[in-house]
Amino acid sequence: MFSNLGNAFATAFEYFTIIYLTGLGGLFSERSGIVNIGLEGMMIIGTVSGAYGVVHWGPVGGLAFGFLCGALYALIHAAATVTFKVDHIVSGVVINLAAVGVARFLSQLWFGQATQSNPGEPHLHTLNIPLLSKLPWGLGAAFQNMSPMVIVAFLLVFPVSYLLYRTRFGLRLRSTGENPEATRSLGVAVAPIQYAAVMLSGALAGLAGAFLAFEVNDHWREGQTVGLGFIALAALILSNWDPKRLLGAAMLFGFAQAIPFWLNDAPIIRLLPPEFVRMIPYVVTIVAIAGFVGKVRPPAAAGRAYEGGSSL
Amino acid sequence: MATSVNTFTARRERLTELLMQVVAFMAALAFALGVGSLIILGYHDSPIAVYSAVVKFSFGSLDGFSRMLVIATPLIFSALAVSVCYKAAMFNIGVEGQYLVAMAVATIAAAHFGFLGVLQFPVVLVFAMIGGMGYAAIPAVLKVKTGAHEVVTTIMLNGVAVSLVAWALRGPLKFTDASGAFNVNLRSDLFPNSAMAPNLGHLLGVGTDVPLNLLLPIGIGCSALVWFLLKRTRLGYEARAVGSSPGSARAGGISIGAVQIKVFLISGALAGLVGMQQILGLNNYLPLNYEAGLGFTGIAVAFLGQNNPFGIIAAAIMWAVLSRGQDAILIETSVPVEIIIILQAILILTVVIAFQVAKRQIARRRLRLAGVQDQDFDDADEEAA
Repeated sequence: MFSNLGNAFATAFEYFTIIYLTGLGGLFSERSGIVNIGLEGMMIIGTVSGAYGVVHWGPVGGLAFGFLCGALYALIHAAATVTFKVDHIVSGVVINLAAVGVARFLSQLWFGQATQSNPGEPHLHTLNIPLLSKLPWGLGAAFQNMSPMVIVAFLLVFPVSYLLYRTRFGLRLRSTGENPEATRSLGVAVAPIQYAAVMLSGALAGLAGAFLAFEVNDHWREGQTVGLGFIALAALILSNWDPKRLLGAAMLFGFAQAIPFWLNDAPIIRLLPPEFVRMIPYVVTIVAIAGFVGKVRPPAAAGRAYEGGSSL
Repeated sequence: MATSVNTFTARRERLTELLMQVVAFMAALAFALGVGSLIILGYHDSPIAVYSAVVKFSFGSLDGFSRMLVIATPLIFSALAVSVCYKAAMFNIGVEGQYLVAMAVATIAAAHFGFLGVLQFPVVLVFAMIGGMGYAAIPAVLKVKTGAHEVVTTIMLNGVAVSLVAWALRGPLKFTDASGAFNVNLRSDLFPNSAMAPNLGHLLGVGTDVPLNLLLPIGIGCSALVWFLLKRTRLGYEARAVGSSPGSARAGGISIGAVQIKVFLISGALAGLVGMQQILGLNNYLPLNYEAGLGFTGIAVAFLGQNNPFGIIAAAIMWAVLSRGQDAILIETSVPVEIIIILQAILILTVVIAFQVAKRQIARRRLRLAGVQDQDFDDADEEAA
C-alpha cells in the first residue's frame, strides 16, 4: 500500500532542499536583526533568473545566476530596512509583491513570454547513492537519480554552523541581532553586517529558486514557488533560528509537501477529497507554527530599527 | 510636546507636514516614471506617448472612466481590509483567502435566496462579510491564543482557501441548471437578478453594458466608515493605541488580544466584499476561473494610499488606471505590457521608502520645534505614524 513511499521521499528531499536553503537564508537575515518576509519574492527572482542562467551557462551557471540575482534583489530589502529604516515586514511584503512584476518583466525580456520559459531545460548529472539506492520495498527510489544539490543542502549544515558559531563574522552577526547598540559600542559597524546578512539570505533563496525552476521542474513558470518561502520562514521559527534544528523542520515540511503528490492513495488520506489532500502542507505548517511559536525565542533585536551610526 | 505651541502654528505645522508627504509621493512617482521612461526608450518608443495613451484610456471617455472605476472598486475593499489591520500593527496578508471563501459563502445566498426579492442583494453582502469574518477569525484567534504570526498563518490559509473553493464548486455549489455535457467550465448556479448589484450606468449616461454598480458607492461609504471607526470610536482609539505602542496600551487597561481579534474580524468583513464585483457585477455566477490576486494588490494599494481611508480611494483609482493601461499599451504602442507591472512594482517600492523618509523628517522636525535634541526620537517616530 506504500508502493510510492520511495518516490514520496525523493520528492520530500527536493522540497527539503528548497525549504532548507531558503530557511538558512532567513536565518542569516534574522540572526542579524532583519526580519525577512521577502524570502518568497527573492525565491521568485531566483526561479526566473535560474531558468535564464541554465540556458546560457548550464546548470552550475544557472544556480550561480539565481544566487547572484537573489542577492541583488535582496539589496533592495537591505537598503529599505537598514538605510531607510522602513518597517521590516512592510518592506518584505512589498519585496514579495514587486517580485511577481519583476519576474514577469524579466521573463518577457529573456524568454519572450511573460509567465513561463520553454520546458526541457538541462539538469545537473543525477546521482545514485551507493547502498541506499538498493533499499527494498521501493524505498531505494528515494536515493536514485538524486540532484547533487540535495546532498549539498544536507551538508551545508556543517559550514553554516561553523560560520555562525565559530567565526568572528558569525559572532558579530549574532550579537548584532541580539543587541546592536552593544555591538557598536565594541567598535563593530552594524550596517555592513546587516547588508551582508540580508544579501546572503537573498542569495540562498535565489539559489533555492533556481533549483526549483530547473532541477525540480524543467522550466520557469509563474506561481511556481507556491508559498515555499513562507513555509521556509515557518521552518525557521520552528527551528528556534538554529541551522541544525532547521534541518529537521525543513525535512518535516518537505515531507508534508510530498503527501499530495505521492501518498494520496495511502490509508486515511484516501478518504479525503483531493482538494483536502492538497491542503495538507499548509495545514501542517499552521499547526506546527501554532503549536511551537510560544516555545521558541527569536533574536532579541529582530524587526527593530537600529538608530545609531547612520546619518538617516 | 505640541501643547506649548498655539493652535495657529499647530495648524501651519500640520500643513507643512502634509506638504512633505505630498512631496515624498511626487518624488517616488517621478522616480518610478523615470525608470519606466528609460525602459520605454530602450524599446525605442516615446515615454510621453506611452504614458498619455495610458491616461487617455481611462480619462478620455466616460465609458473608459467607468470601466476604470469598476476595476478600482474591489481594490478599495481589499486595501481597506489591509489598512484596518495595519493600524493595529497587524498584517492581513490573508485578504486573498478571505475573499475567496467569502465568494463561496455569498454564492449560497445568491443562488438560493431569490425569494427575498429586493432584500436579496444586501443579504448576499452580509453572507460575504460573514464568510470573510469567519475565515479571518482563524488567524486572529491563533495569533492571540498561541502567538502564531498572522503573516505566516494567513499565507497558508490562502493556499487552503483555493482548495476549499475548488472543492465547493465540484461539490455543494456545483451548477444544477445545465447538463454536464453542455458546461465545460465549472461554475455555480446562475444568480437571479435580485441578487445582482444594481447597475448605476444610466446615472452617468454610459448605459447598462458597463458594470458600474452600487458597489462603488458602497466602497466609498466603507472608506468613510473606516475613517469614522479609526478616528471617532473607542475601538478605533484602542486599535491605534495597540498599533503604535502596545506597552502603553496594556498599561492603559486595553485588552490587546480582544482589540486584535475585533480589528481582524472587521478586516475580514471588508475582505469579504472584495469578490462581490466579479460575482454580482461582472458575472452572475461564481466561476472556477475567478480573478485571484486582488488581496495582494490590496496590500500595494493600501501602502500607496498611506493606509488612509480616503488616500486608498485615490490609490485604487491610480492602480486601476495603470492596470487598464495595459490594454492601451497593447493596442497603441510597441512596448511590452509588462512595463506596467514593473512600473507598479517600482512605484510601490519607492513610495514606501519615500514615505518612511518623510515620516522621519517630520518626527525630527517636531522634536526640533519642541526643543528636544535628536538623540531619542525613537518614540516620536512612532507617533508620526
